[in-house]
Amino acid sequence: MLKAVFKLFAVSLCLLSGLARAAEAEPVRFALIDPLTGPMSVVGQPALAQLQFTAERLNKEGGMDGHPIEIVGYDNKINPQESLVQLQKAIDDGIRYIIQGNGSSVGSALLSAINKHNQRNPDDRVLYLNYAAIEPSFTNERCSFWHFRFDAHVDMKMNMLTDWIAENPDFKKVFLINQDYSFGHTVSESAMRMLKEKRPDIEIVGNTFHPLGKVKDFSPYISKIKSSGADVVITGNWGQDINLLIKSAAEYGVDVPFLTYYGSTPGTITQVGDKGVDRVYLIAEYHGDFTDPEIAERQVALYKEKGWDYYPRVAAMLEMMKAAGDKAGSIEPLAVAKTLEGLEYDAAAGHLTMRAEDHQLQMPLYLSVLKDNMKHGAEGTDYNFHQIARFDADQATLPTTCRMRRPD
Amino acid sequence: MSQDIIAPMQRTKSRTSLRGLVPWVVFAAVLLLLPVFFQGNSTAFTLLNVIGINIVFALSYNMLLGQGGMLSFGHAVFFGLGSYAAMHAMIAIDEASYAGEGFWAHVPVLGMPLVGMIAGGLVALVLGWPFCRRAGTAFAMITLGLGEMVAAAGQMFPSLFGGEAGIYGNRMVGPQWFGLELAQSSDVYWFIAFWTFAGVFAMWAFTRTPLGRMSNAVRDNPDRLQFIGYPPRNVRFMIFIAAGSFGGLAGGMAAVNYEIITPEALGLIPSGLALLMAAVGGLGVFYGPIVGAVVVTLMNSMLSDYTDASILYVGLVFLAIVMFAPRGLGGGIEQVRVAWRDGDLGRRLPGWLSGALAVGLIIVGLVVLIELAFQATHGSDEFAHVFGVDFDAAGPWGWLTVVVLLVAGGLIKRATNKLREDQA
Repeated sequence: MLKAVFKLFAVSLCLLSGLARAAEAEPVRFALIDPLTGPMSVVGQPALAQLQFTAERLNKEGGMDGHPIEIVGYDNKINPQESLVQLQKAIDDGIRYIIQGNGSSVGSALLSAINKHNQRNPDDRVLYLNYAAIEPSFTNERCSFWHFRFDAHVDMKMNMLTDWIAENPDFKKVFLINQDYSFGHTVSESAMRMLKEKRPDIEIVGNTFHPLGKVKDFSPYISKIKSSGADVVITGNWGQDINLLIKSAAEYGVDVPFLTYYGSTPGTITQVGDKGVDRVYLIAEYHGDFTDPEIAERQVALYKEKGWDYYPRVAAMLEMMKAAGDKAGSIEPLAVAKTLEGLEYDAAAGHLTMRAEDHQLQMPLYLSVLKDNMKHGAEGTDYNFHQIARFDADQATLPTTCRMRRPD
Repeated sequence: MSQDIIAPMQRTKSRTSLRGLVPWVVFAAVLLLLPVFFQGNSTAFTLLNVIGINIVFALSYNMLLGQGGMLSFGHAVFFGLGSYAAMHAMIAIDEASYAGEGFWAHVPVLGMPLVGMIAGGLVALVLGWPFCRRAGTAFAMITLGLGEMVAAAGQMFPSLFGGEAGIYGNRMVGPQWFGLELAQSSDVYWFIAFWTFAGVFAMWAFTRTPLGRMSNAVRDNPDRLQFIGYPPRNVRFMIFIAAGSFGGLAGGMAAVNYEIITPEALGLIPSGLALLMAAVGGLGVFYGPIVGAVVVTLMNSMLSDYTDASILYVGLVFLAIVMFAPRGLGGGIEQVRVAWRDGDLGRRLPGWLSGALAVGLIIVGLVVLIELAFQATHGSDEFAHVFGVDFDAAGPWGWLTVVVLLVAGGLIKRATNKLREDQA
């Protein structure tokens, strides 16, 4: 019964999409493999919305080398094994560009699977475009010709955070609170290493790990922060762990800055609201001021159309793919990959370079803080992140240990 | 009196020797013929491989729940640790085959499920004894804790478990057997098919052993079992080890198929998946979990292509089966089979067919309702698409369709009930 229903449905879908496509040139299709249903869909859906929104605009400008860009979502439920099934589905559907961001576990699975696929099917290569899995090893010891990362990795972001702390002589005591799993440990280790280099006089007054996504009451951790006398807190927390941490800090009157990686995860601003103002700092690829009127216009349009905020690096990624395709005069993955290497692009946030050495995007980073009464609020509120510091791409850059094997 | 009991047993015994072979021949034939239908369709092979793994996983879980009466929430521990062991072995093969010497250089990747099986069995052997004192709620709670503990440990020891990114290997290493290169998913299919068959057969054979019989006894009446001299704890412990071994076998198959294993595979979600598959398929029939594994895997991987509410449907299917068909899909098939064997099918079929029609109409009505509601609250486009038809949540027709379908289904259901009563 169920199967018959699927068939009927699939046939009708094919008919519909077939009709729409007949008029245009062969499209170039991008698969987004991310959580699109369930509780984690809040991190996948905004990317899908942004990709479709940007594709629409780029198609009006002629698409990628004359081919209209099409975005297809594949739901991986943020599970690595399921992602591999979805990858196979995408490849079978004729898609050669795979986009993924959420979860380094999924990223790791896709990275190794795509490497193997390209090795085993030299006539049929696939590119992996990563917009958010920021495990440093992906562009260091595990670097691959087929993988391109469009976000700064953990160490690059930490490098800027610690620079900012080091320049501020008021900061003497740093508290680290992170989720107890590999990402949290990476954040904590690189914070300790870099602070020791840059400001040996700074004291790490706390380095705490809490269970991932299981803490309902952060008050014991907050009282620990309070009693340690910290002037600044660094956290890689995301999801409910950042929401509850910030809310708890506000309730206990802890007014020190919380330097976060993911203070802007969808839902956080709505939930944290006033309690996060002047408390949540964010290191990211852009800010919420939207000083560029064109981007501001798009933010308004996207929110109105799809109900999600503008996702600058996802937009920039697709724009760079178009630029690479146009420059290569092809949509064939290998040709596009070769052009993408070293490609320079001027995005709203600044000058971007895809470093050929390791396929890590070299990009400016912004430190911003949550403010009320912003001109363009996030998530339909009046709150958004206001820029307080900008770091140039050559400041944010880090050397790589990558020794890339290139196809002939 | 004792004669009466023995006589029918002997009859079934002689029958199994001949007729018992039929399902296995059919099973093997299906496994051999499937590739013919899906030639060149890698997605189909990828899904078949996942289904194969899930069949072994669900059946191994049913050894605990269906046959031994032990509700476990931590079965993925054995699956995951078996998978980790197989993956570490695969990495060892990779390294040894560069040097071309050492023990691992001579082990084929095809044997990885056995590594997983041994690992799963060992883990169950080490951990199991204190768990098996009680069945029921206590056992469920302990296994829940075990699952959470191992999953947390998986994140904390990156050298062994690889942290969030997990550990990954390459299956195209070591000696090749039977010319199986294992490059494409269609190659891997033969590997999965073999181990699925072997695993299913071994688990069926287990139910025929004295221990397998004893596991039903410990489920039905542990006190009496104790009374006749078999300590229930020992029996449970042995079932636990067997189930852990086969869970590890499935994990070993997964290691070769996915070539990556992450700590998430140890957690509550995959454990819940095993329960879901076994319950949907039916706990009481041996092949129930096989049916469940096929249905649940397809729902997991395919349904989200068609609807944003896919998770809701999986939940509803589970709920509906637990509430209205506790014997699961396999139980339904078994009912039809028994009726057919007893020559009763002709009399009961009309009732079943009209019942199925009623359930079908109600399901379609519910699907339209869910899609409309979903579209009305946070739809991304103008219409709710159901089975190729567009419904507009703003207009009355879609909602009217729901009412008509549900009422029609309800009426047919009532008529069916009456028909069945008349027959009875």
